[in-house]
Amino acid sequence: MKKHQALLYRRPLKWLLPMFIMLGLFYAYPLFDVIRLSFTNASILEPTYTYSLRSYSKMFNDPEILGTLATTFIFVSTNIVMQIIIGMLIALLIKTGMKQGFFMTEACRTVVLIAWMIPGVLVGIIWKLILSTSNYGIANYLLELVGLSRIGFLSEPNMALLSTIMVNIWRGTAFSMIMLYAGLQKIPEHLYEAAVVDGANAFQQFFRITLPLMRHIIFINLVLITIYTFNQFDMIMSLTGGGPGRSTEVLTLTAYKQMFKFFDMGTSSAISVLLLVLNLSIAVIYYRFVLGESNVDNQ
Amino acid sequence: MKKKASKRFILFFYILLAVVILLFIGPIIWMVMLSLKTKTEIFSYPPKLFPEVWSAQNYLHIIRNSRIPTYLFNSFKITLFATLGNLLVTIPAAFAFSRFRFAFQKQLLFVILMFQMISQLIIAIPLYRYFIQLGMLNSHFGLILVYITVQVPFTTWVLKGFFDSIPIQLDEAAIIDGFNEYQTLFYILLPLAMPGIATALVFNTINAWGNFIIPFIFINDSRLFPISVGILNFADTQTEGEVTIHLMATASVLGLVPALVIIVGLQRLIVGALTAGAVKE
Repeated sequence: MKKHQALLYRRPLKWLLPMFIMLGLFYAYPLFDVIRLSFTNASILEPTYTYSLRSYSKMFNDPEILGTLATTFIFVSTNIVMQIIIGMLIALLIKTGMKQGFFMTEACRTVVLIAWMIPGVLVGIIWKLILSTSNYGIANYLLELVGLSRIGFLSEPNMALLSTIMVNIWRGTAFSMIMLYAGLQKIPEHLYEAAVVDGANAFQQFFRITLPLMRHIIFINLVLITIYTFNQFDMIMSLTGGGPGRSTEVLTLTAYKQMFKFFDMGTSSAISVLLLVLNLSIAVIYYRFVLGESNVDNQ
Repeated sequence: MKKKASKRFILFFYILLAVVILLFIGPIIWMVMLSLKTKTEIFSYPPKLFPEVWSAQNYLHIIRNSRIPTYLFNSFKITLFATLGNLLVTIPAAFAFSRFRFAFQKQLLFVILMFQMISQLIIAIPLYRYFIQLGMLNSHFGLILVYITVQVPFTTWVLKGFFDSIPIQLDEAAIIDGFNEYQTLFYILLPLAMPGIATALVFNTINAWGNFIIPFIFINDSRLFPISVGILNFADTQTEGEVTIHLMATASVLGLVPALVIIVGLQRLIVGALTAGAVKE
């Protein structure tokens, strides 16, 4: 795409003003305020507060909060690895189907996409019904059909975390699939044809041609899904609410609970700031990698 | 050069495809089936896929005796105003980013992109404080303002991308013909950027429909819930004793259908927008 050279119009301010007002009021100022509040002992219940480092020392000394930090990292790392792998497999499947003109291939893509785009709350409810230990819990029925015993998918702490991770993989994979499929389509077909002539099998083609050429897009994909997974809230809230105990509580839920269950705005803000730092550092990596120094104009 | 696939290969392909389709649509179908069953059927063992008698009884019950229709209406209203309001903010901004050159332009675009990466929960906590002080808790107006804002970064980027793809020579020709910048935007750029605006509308609609964090925090009056919060509230009040699973499934299907229609109907736009930034044309 060609760069615009001409200076067409001057004075952009009036065009940008609505955006400045909205982002300033509802993003920039709240961000400033959450940082400020994280250095206070503010509570929802009392209007006055004093400045201190109490929230941070509480955050880093509270074993339960540190525990949710560990849960978050397990949740995020497992998710991103599995979403990339499964997303790649489905993308390859769809590419094969599209190339051969196989019937139903596009329907498959649509179906995976639906899982990603339906409201997260509903994803949680759908899977809560499926994973239930009651008679309508189809997952346990299927386990019994193949001769296994019933599992408390959402009632045993470790199993609940595993179930939450699986549901989030179910939900999130579509994004990787779409990105990676787009990347696959950019690889020139003649490379594969040449490889076939040289006697390369499918695995060699994948590891020697596909993967190296897709490094760039895989990295972008990884960065974006890392952020999405860190920010996950609604699905977990409706699937487990963070429980049983705190077994599926991730940082976003902890920040929410500190605020609205314990009314501790200071600690909630400190956790938010931690989340903010995580979000922004990943976003900076994304920016440097994707947009580079001078590519902004070309987007 | 297309080589003919062998029978074994085709079989293998379709087995895999069926597994993927089943894994992703199966859970949704199961919920639809639950919504069509009676209470006794749901708890009977072994569970059956199809209901014995197909009946819309649960749907009638939900529509007549629950707040779900109100929640749906609230969601429609909020989504409509948030989506349109968002365009009022982002079209001018995208126009400025695409057609003007000004100081700190790149940095500004970068900052906007950063905002998109930040969890909505982070801004919701301090906003909750202001909204209490301003008496804007439990107001759809306040909610719509926040919805508009959280979608500003993404939409601005999408629209800027579409404006950029329109040759600047068209603007130049328009200026020669005596158009001012408003006329150029309305008569030249906007008609040509319609696919971009449609994409923005789709994403804004889906995100506003599904948004949960913002209303979960800012609305406590159950008459004002949008469907996302309303359904969770419904589920939480219903699951005690687990006797009304059929109604919970029904309510969920009702919340799902509008989103589903948009996703399936407009998936080309969605796929295009998702990959536009990451894959260089």
